[in-house]
Amino acid sequence: MTAHFDTIIIGGGLLGCATAWMIAREGGRVLLLERDQINQHASGSNAGSLHFQLEYRMIEGGLDKARKAAEAMPLHLDAAELWADLPRLTAEPIVVKQTGGLMIAETADQVRLLEQKTEIERAWGLDNRMIDRAGIERIAPYLSDRVIAAAHCTTEGKADARTAGPAFARAALAAGAHIRTRSEVRALSRRGRGWSVVAGSDESPQTLQADTVVIAAGVWTTRMGQMMGADLPTIPLALMMTVTQRMAPLIGHLVQHAGGRLSLKQALDGNILIGGGWPARLLRDAEGTPDFDAKPQLEASSLAGNARIAMGVLPRLAGVPALRSWVGTTTITPDQLPLVGPVPGCPGAFVATGGSAFTLGPSFAQALAALVAGRQPLTDLRSFDPARYAKG
Amino acid sequence: MANFHRLPVARGRPVRFTFEGAPVDSFAGETLATALLAAQVGAFGHTREGNPRLPFCNMGTCFDCAVQVDGRGLVRACLTDVVEGMVVNMQEIK
Repeated sequence: MTAHFDTIIIGGGLLGCATAWMIAREGGRVLLLERDQINQHASGSNAGSLHFQLEYRMIEGGLDKARKAAEAMPLHLDAAELWADLPRLTAEPIVVKQTGGLMIAETADQVRLLEQKTEIERAWGLDNRMIDRAGIERIAPYLSDRVIAAAHCTTEGKADARTAGPAFARAALAAGAHIRTRSEVRALSRRGRGWSVVAGSDESPQTLQADTVVIAAGVWTTRMGQMMGADLPTIPLALMMTVTQRMAPLIGHLVQHAGGRLSLKQALDGNILIGGGWPARLLRDAEGTPDFDAKPQLEASSLAGNARIAMGVLPRLAGVPALRSWVGTTTITPDQLPLVGPVPGCPGAFVATGGSAFTLGPSFAQALAALVAGRQPLTDLRSFDPARYAKG
Repeated sequence: MANFHRLPVARGRPVRFTFEGAPVDSFAGETLATALLAAQVGAFGHTREGNPRLPFCNMGTCFDCAVQVDGRGLVRACLTDVVEGMVVNMQEIK
């Protein structure tokens, strides 16, 4: 049996579901294929930060690398606007709180780094401003007095990672998209002016046809590229997060640190979510290929390190029981910039992934929907062109 | 509302404790969750919206039965035996 669609989207995370919704509401006949369940992987296991200022991983390598990473700022600015509108546009109860974010400094060096960083960000149009100790006492009295300054970005915040992806999936269905879960893609090949996609179980795979294909497959991006004969280099990063028992409302901001791996925020239910990029151990086979079907393993040193930096800036955390720690695997690229655009050498195939894909998911989806429709995306995507790796 | 009752089998010696200040009668060997359910307690805690929660998994995983015992928080009632005189309360959010 074969079936024909305008667009087949590979991957049922936040990005794939948002893209399916955006294409379907423009009238496109869309099929989304998900190997497991909607929101099962990175989209549902990240901590739900909406961070628009440069993250610690982008500034720890020095200012030149920070300037390079800042080339993604237009996507961050798009995301800041898109997230605010998504609950209304999807008519779904997506929990989005843009109550501001703070990247904090405890030393003079960190303050200087933040000052240089905010200058770069403001040149790109992000409203991120330094506040001093008095400012911190005024808007974030919950922070330790070791915090001497912070970069305050008013549009940052959080969204509920547990419910955002499924909300986009429901919006996509309501707009007429088709969704198949437990449908792993097994082969991709050019056929006429479009694509032939083999998906489903080993026993009863199905061949589907589409004019265009969108790869929204996170850690599986490189493998999908290989099926098409394209080089889409990605690096999987297994990370750890922790959630505490509920507390009365205390933290209104997303809190990050200029001198270490930390993200801190309080969920609507009162639990404190602690993360910031502490590594977990990705399981690999004998050849070193990561096994994405196996859960990465928690590292005790990460658990301790994350707790230490969190308690250092939020003393109230000491004595609050952690409910659980978990791991998820994010996808970054060799140059830390997102991968968004046409798949090189594969007409009608488009891809998006690469770092901060929860925060940037709506921006990626908007760009993909434009590319699929043959429109010029509103944002200049040249820095994110997947072909940059083929050239090198 | 919960509607649990004890099966007619031999029980241990009587054990009395309090939940939210009210005395609860139970038997040695029962878990706190068993004793509270048999006493028709309708909520072990509440959600953010104020909806009642009762034990869900009864095997230590879901934390929906977590209560405060003798001042200690996050005690799973389904994994905790009743003890004479224990003071049990719903969890406070501090």
